[in-house]
Amino acid sequence: MSMMHAAQVGAAPSTAHLMRWVIVATLPGIAAMTFYFGLGVISNVLLAGLFALGAEALIVALRQRPVRPALRDSSALLTGVLLGASLPPASPWWLIAVGVMAAVVVAKQLYGGLGHNPFNPAMVGYALLLVSLPTYMTLWSPPQALTAESLFNQTLWAQIIGSLPPATLDALSGATPLDAFKHKGEAVLASEFWASQPLPEGTLSAWRNVAFAWLIGGLVLIAKRIISWHIPIAMLGSMMLLATLFYASDPSHFASPLFHLLTGATLFGAFFIATDPVSAATSQRGKLIYGAGIGALVMIIRTFGGYPDAVAFAVLLMNLCVPLLDIYTVPRPSGHANTATHSAPKEPL
Amino acid sequence: MPAFEFPGGIYPPERKARSNQSKLQVAALPAQVTLPLKQHAGNAATPCVAMGDSVKVGSLIAQRDGMISAPLHASVSGTVTQISNTAITIESDGLDNWQRLPPLDWRAASPATLLERLDSSGLTGLGGAGFPTYIKAQVAEHHAIDTLVVNAAECEPYITADDLTLRSYPADVLEGAQLIARLCGVQTIVIGIEDNKPEAISALEHALPQAQHPAAIVLKVIETRYPSGGERQLIKKVLNRDVPSGGLPADVGTLCHNPGTLLAALHAVRDGKPLVERIVTLTGEAVSTPGNYWVRLGTSVASLLDGVGLMPGQLHQVIVGGPMMGTPLATLDTPVTKTTNCLIAATLAELPPAPIESPCIRCSACESVCPAQLLPQQLHWYARAENDSTLETLNLFDCIECGACSFVCPSFIPLVKDYRLAKQRIRMKQIETAKSDHAKHRFEFRQARLAREDAEKQARRQARLAQTQKPSTSTAGDHATPEVDLRSLRIAQTAAKAAVKKAEKVLARAAEQDPKQRFDDLETQLATAQENLKAAEARLASARENAIQKDTP
Repeated sequence: MSMMHAAQVGAAPSTAHLMRWVIVATLPGIAAMTFYFGLGVISNVLLAGLFALGAEALIVALRQRPVRPALRDSSALLTGVLLGASLPPASPWWLIAVGVMAAVVVAKQLYGGLGHNPFNPAMVGYALLLVSLPTYMTLWSPPQALTAESLFNQTLWAQIIGSLPPATLDALSGATPLDAFKHKGEAVLASEFWASQPLPEGTLSAWRNVAFAWLIGGLVLIAKRIISWHIPIAMLGSMMLLATLFYASDPSHFASPLFHLLTGATLFGAFFIATDPVSAATSQRGKLIYGAGIGALVMIIRTFGGYPDAVAFAVLLMNLCVPLLDIYTVPRPSGHANTATHSAPKEPL
Repeated sequence: MPAFEFPGGIYPPERKARSNQSKLQVAALPAQVTLPLKQHAGNAATPCVAMGDSVKVGSLIAQRDGMISAPLHASVSGTVTQISNTAITIESDGLDNWQRLPPLDWRAASPATLLERLDSSGLTGLGGAGFPTYIKAQVAEHHAIDTLVVNAAECEPYITADDLTLRSYPADVLEGAQLIARLCGVQTIVIGIEDNKPEAISALEHALPQAQHPAAIVLKVIETRYPSGGERQLIKKVLNRDVPSGGLPADVGTLCHNPGTLLAALHAVRDGKPLVERIVTLTGEAVSTPGNYWVRLGTSVASLLDGVGLMPGQLHQVIVGGPMMGTPLATLDTPVTKTTNCLIAATLAELPPAPIESPCIRCSACESVCPAQLLPQQLHWYARAENDSTLETLNLFDCIECGACSFVCPSFIPLVKDYRLAKQRIRMKQIETAKSDHAKHRFEFRQARLAREDAEKQARRQARLAQTQKPSTSTAGDHATPEVDLRSLRIAQTAAKAAVKKAEKVLARAAEQDPKQRFDDLETQLATAQENLKAAEARLASARENAIQKDTP
């Protein structure tokens, strides 16, 4: 048995360490979202995290497993944070609770707990909410100044009482850039759409800056070797490739690659969602295919499908392919060369 | 600098400074040594001394048993006080009287003489596996070997025995390498050494110009990365050759030896000194004067560590070998053997036990460090599920148990332990299958023997009958001898002949591939085929006899 293990060196972090680092890396993104979309983002994340810990404790206790280690590994907390960050700001508390239950209880623990879930738990929760409660899930407020008035009168109160008066709903709801572009209508050319200034002031730049914040967090994760570059690069690469192809074929109807890159959940998904090790492919070749598949599905659903953003569905669909990918991307071990004979060393000795 | 890479690898803390600061020293002569009969791969040696015999240092006390085995020599002078099934104990007289073999000039001696000397000196690899050196040299008879790789990588943390060997005896190690090179017909010697041993490297560089033929020597300094000292990894790194799975370095024209073995080989040949002592690294936070020491084989670990200032209060565990692949000692009352390269007396803070295991999160950190390019996490799942067939498809047996995967696992899963258990389970199964196959084949042999005897009896009876019937040929003997189909008997005989040939071929091929194995089962199968052939021949002969008689009334 090997005696030197990771803990004594501090080089290789523990599972809990990994999870906490991912949570830390979400902070720039969450901060940027809070800056542009209000404190409802933070309350979302806090509520979701809290619910997730509670749900995990409950279900682990029901499964008669030790509760403390399960909470301590921070995986449930991370699921909550990721789900909370993807919900529209100041979603009603019960909406968050339903999403968290689906994520932690159904998608994770009912499949056997940490390490055994075939699907990304946060995305299962998100997809469930998106399919069953589309009105609530599209309530993205336009960028607004952080004022006490807007905070209490509108968002947090609505979150606490769990429902919104119709007037507030109207005032709050706004289309995301992806949403607006998707529903611009066939006849409207892209240039006409942009010329009509369809979005409230600053919406595009807000989404762009949020995307950059997620990118910063993602780069931190790669630099800390918490995630490998394979999945994000493959996903973004295939997205950009497809987006460029579409755009080049008909720039008047398709959005530019940069638009796809900097709006919606593209960068958040690439660095924080697709890279979930449990539900992703394991070999390096497998990861490249997995990431590329997600990117392609995102582009296809965004362009031809019924949903403006598609990261959750793309990730879940590729989760389905993982067992197959794992079988067909087994690397060839050393010493199993195609040719049994050795070649003479090419470098002069 | 080498341009080749083996995949994976890790960078554990080296912790070598504790033992490589002081010069090589000589450990105190032990008052008593316990020499295990099995200090090498293969069969244990057979004692050839009696209780009460007085011996000198270098006296033969146990002979090798079978192909893979090595003789054993007394490491102190004194009296044999105990002979058990596993070990011989010698009480030292403190005089240190030596008995050496006659010195040989390796440049002049014949390869057969050199091989015989390596064998009779009890030389085994001083690294880990303890493979008898003369067998390795014999490999050259079956394979064309062009390169000797001196494995001076010493990649495990803590261990500095090879480092100090090279620093203290650079010229002797090179001469030992030339000796082996001459013995095996090697043209090139490549020394692979990690760049964290600058003093050993400069010592070698100084000694290189004086190193005499026959082989050219190349010094390759490689990056410090665990496990570059693995045989396959080092050969990949310095020669860019892939040792095939399940194969030997010899399959790619390579032979691998560590510096300690080469030094011992030179001592055995040039000085006639059998293998009775070796250099051991004594280190760890729980000893006050760590360093490298010449240690007589059979010295007890307890007395050895006492000699270097063991602080019993601080001691948590003693590990033989390195911290990655070594094993913790259950008792300090254990002797140093030919394969003991390092003893780590570690404190609790130094090598704490692994934290409690948590579930695998498929992070594939293990996979990225695996030098054999296996899928450690898949192996982990299938090993726990005891899915042995999948384990074999995933090449479990290519795992070199280096521990890199366990080292990086964020869930603290003892992966290598899982693999070792699984390998053991699969090996046991294979042995069971082989046993039952053998039993079946023995039964078949018995059946064949009975059938052959029966056929021969029949033939004899037939002959007797023919003899008695000869005078009265006219009386129809037709009904006495039943009609036999000669043609089908001939076919049966030909088939039996082919079966014998095939069994012979299978046995010969197996023996050629693995000369040190026993092939009881294949031999039984061959004997069965031979019995069947004899029976078929007897039947055919008697039938022919019959037919001739009928045709000549």
